[in-house]
Amino acid sequence: MSDLTDAVISTFRLSKTYRSGLSMRRVEALVDVSLSVQRGEIFGFLGPNGAGKTSLIKILMGLCRPTSGTVEVFGRHARDARVKSRIGFLPESPYFYEYLTAEEFLRLTARLSGLSDRETGDRVRNLLRTVRMEKAAKSQMRGFSRGMLQRIGIAQALVNDPELVVLDEPMGGLDPVGRKEVRDIIAGLRERGKTVFFSTHILSDVEMICDRVGIVIAGELTKVGELSEILSGEVQSIDVTVSGLRGKVRKALEHVGQQSIRSGDSLLVTVRGEREVDKVMAIARDGDGRIEAIVPRRKTLEDYFMAHVQDAGEK
Amino acid sequence: MLRRVIGIAHNTFREAIRDKVFLTLIVFAILVMGSARVVQPLTLGEGSKVMKDIGLAAITFFSVLIAVLVGGRLVYKEVEKRTVFIILAKPVRRWEFILGKYLGLMTVLVASLGVMTAGFYLIMFITGTPASAYLLWALLMTCFELAIVTATAVLFSTFVTPVASAVFTFAIYVVGHLTRDLRLLAAMSPSPVVKFVSQLLYYVLPNLSNFNIRGEVVHGVVLNPQTLVLAAGYAVLYTATLLLISTFVFGRKDF
Repeated sequence: MSDLTDAVISTFRLSKTYRSGLSMRRVEALVDVSLSVQRGEIFGFLGPNGAGKTSLIKILMGLCRPTSGTVEVFGRHARDARVKSRIGFLPESPYFYEYLTAEEFLRLTARLSGLSDRETGDRVRNLLRTVRMEKAAKSQMRGFSRGMLQRIGIAQALVNDPELVVLDEPMGGLDPVGRKEVRDIIAGLRERGKTVFFSTHILSDVEMICDRVGIVIAGELTKVGELSEILSGEVQSIDVTVSGLRGKVRKALEHVGQQSIRSGDSLLVTVRGEREVDKVMAIARDGDGRIEAIVPRRKTLEDYFMAHVQDAGEK
Repeated sequence: MLRRVIGIAHNTFREAIRDKVFLTLIVFAILVMGSARVVQPLTLGEGSKVMKDIGLAAITFFSVLIAVLVGGRLVYKEVEKRTVFIILAKPVRRWEFILGKYLGLMTVLVASLGVMTAGFYLIMFITGTPASAYLLWALLMTCFELAIVTATAVLFSTFVTPVASAVFTFAIYVVGHLTRDLRLLAAMSPSPVVKFVSQLLYYVLPNLSNFNIRGEVVHGVVLNPQTLVLAAGYAVLYTATLLLISTFVFGRKDF
């Protein structure tokens, strides 16, 4: 764990309650969330839909006030303009001024971020190149696809070369190539010592780039930890693929595995441990089968997340 | 600070001039001014005065219409479309945002007023109506009136829908021209409730009839400079108050 005094974001018992409908029903979006994000780390903020991720992000950005508790960014109040000049923010499903061209929009955000006209030109050109939008620079954004808007959104978030980048669902609307590019941008930010706080539903992306994750369920922060702690690396199961099997032998193998999937004359058998692998190999050898592959399966973030959400639901 | 306010104002200006509704209103205003020629045969030799009166009234009416329609959705649209998230996530204070939006729309209104005025003078030139720069005093007063109407629209747009904002602003514009009648009503009514409400409205609502000097300039009446200065001061104070209230309302808003 990093030094706590180097916290870029810190919240203490943060709660947010909304009133909904005519009956003014209380909706608790966040409940006593205490969280600390350290300088230079990439923090993934996970949770099912409606768990409170966006509420926390809005409070961090000073867009709404907490009902109780405190929040500090760079040791100051979240609504402090001095803090905002050090942050880049991409909201969820961003919508921009559609009558502006991509370049005009980035120039506007650069100006609002306090960049001089001299700095703005180079910065905007570089960002358009980074998000691969140079060709659309002079086009009005009304004709942009969701993916293009997301790229421009990321570019505007980086326009002030921020120390902290807060991204709400940055992979939303992007194809696999776009997602890879965003991952690369985030990884590049880490190399430059920036802090990244982002929420996402795409767990494989988190697994690839995050140092730490926090899981929020029904407004409560139920788990915070380093990815290496959460995913201990232990083998959960082993997939053995066997081909060239006769009926009887195939049946025998299906009984050995936790689960099995047939495909043509191949059978993929999932077993718990090495002992069962030996058993599968022995049966396959005796039945003139061929072992095509033995693949150990480690616990993924998705496995952990699903189990965690289920546990929280049961409690 | 100034750079951010100007940035927002510039963007607001750009949005309006790329809006077809806005351009259509200006063209329509010029057409209405041109159509004043049609009524000239009915004016018993006062054609030039009627022409000027209609022209100035059309410029004022369409400017107010733009202020009400564009101003009414100025802040609301940013919130509804969530573009405000991007802006307020930058080092932009909420009062800078309100001021920038307001100044942007005022720039639009002054520019459109300029275009309509140019159209008005062109029409007078083409129709051979004697034109005088003295008429510009009436348009200067219209600018002050627009300052208040726009600030009213901006205030409403921070907390109600564009339609409601347009209706409320227009209602205030109409009542604002009748405030002297409110005072009269307060003086004449025997009911203390009516007296109180009329007096309250008289003091709270803007007195927009202060800014209507169209009759005087068309008829060449000599204007009292003190009245003009007082009207300008009143507009500045009233506008500043409305913008302060807008900032307060907007500052307390959760998104």
